[in-house]
Formats: sequence, C-alpha cells, structure tokens
Amino acid sequence: MPTLAPEQVDSVLKTGASTRVDAAVAPRFRPGDRVLVRNINPVSHTRLPRYVRGRHGVIERDHGVFVFPDTSGHGQGQKPQHVYSVRFAARELWGEQAPARDTLNLDLFDDYLEGAGDGQ
Amino acid sequence: MNGIHDLGGMHGMGPIAPERNEPLFHEEWERRMFGLFMAIFAGGHYNVDEFRHAIERMDPARYLESPYYEHWLHSAETLLVEKGVLSREDLEDRKARLEMEAS
Repeated sequence: MPTLAPEQVDSVLKTGASTRVDAAVAPRFRPGDRVLVRNINPVSHTRLPRYVRGRHGVIERDHGVFVFPDTSGHGQGQKPQHVYSVRFAARELWGEQAPARDTLNLDLFDDYLEGAGDGQ
Repeated sequence: MNGIHDLGGMHGMGPIAPERNEPLFHEEWERRMFGLFMAIFAGGHYNVDEFRHAIERMDPARYLESPYYEHWLHSAETLLVEKGVLSREDLEDRKARLEMEAS
C-alpha cells in the first residue's frame, strides 16, 4: 500500500490535488456557444447544483480536461472531459426580480450540457 | 445527489462573513484530521470524488451543525468502513474506550 513519505508532503501541499487529465478529448462546445443545462437528478455523486439545471447559459471559457466526478466517485472510471465556465444571466436563475445586468459564472462538465442554438 | 450540501439559492442561511485573520486550524484535532486525510489519500483508499460523496451522505442536520473538519472525519470513517479497512465495531469500541478514559 503506498504511503505518504515526509519528503512528499511539502510538494503535495503546494500543488494541491488537481484532477486535470492530459487526455486528447474533444470539447463539445466552444466559447460563445449557447447551452442548456441538463435536468438530471442522480442519487449518486454530481457537481451539478440544482439551481442551474434546465437553465440557459453561454460558454465563456474552456478550462481543459478533468476527471469526471459523477463516474469517478463510484468506481466507474475517470471519463475525462472538458470543463467550461458557463455564464448565466441572474434573471435566468432567480427570476425577473433579479438585477438586469447581473450574471453568475459556474464551472460545469461537458456531460452536464446540451447545445441550445441561437435564441432557443 | 440532491443532498443538503447543495445549498445554492437557499434563503435564511445568513451572510457569508469570513473570519478575519482566520487560523489554519481552530483546534488541534483539526490539524490532526488534515494530516490523517493526506495519509489516507496517499494510501490510495479512496479518491476525492468518493470523499465528497461520503460527506454528502451525512445526516442533513448533522452536516449543517458540525465543523468543516468533522465532515472530513465522517467521510474517512464512512469510506474506510465501507471498504473493509476498518470495522464499525472496532471504531465504536475505540470511541467508547476513549470516552471512558477521558471521563
């Protein structure tokens, strides 16, 4: 069983435990794309919060490829995929009472998203 | 899962007020928990996603009322028992013995 050696502690603490993966996985979306967040409700692990499911947003940035928690959390493999910073209008999430110009960005995995085209 | 950890959008939770000059650890047991966590990780017993999911599976009331590093402790105990590294009986026996010694 591997153990944590004293000489490893310093570098582990400094670099953290990134789950970024060096895998050649194609992104399904690009910055500027309009997306719809899937309305999934798994009883298993997910990093998709309820308040953004079924909402429309815009891809702002592609962070690269990471281990997918929904599978990794259950021994079902890494399923590496792109993670995007997706921008939502505050009114899209919280209704017409929200300030008109406010937005919220959320980092979301590729599997959480569907394409929404223009103006849908 | 649609668990208690998924707090986004809820009302009534109070303002987010970070503590000024917050120490890394408020109590010594938290420092030990941090070290224990790293050692268990290095031992390859579970990954960060399993770790988080075990926290999500905490009793909701307990989750809200316990300190952050107690979430880590709960997760470690849950996963090590589920993976057969420890038995629940051994854990409970040891806790009972420590409580007796402390009183």
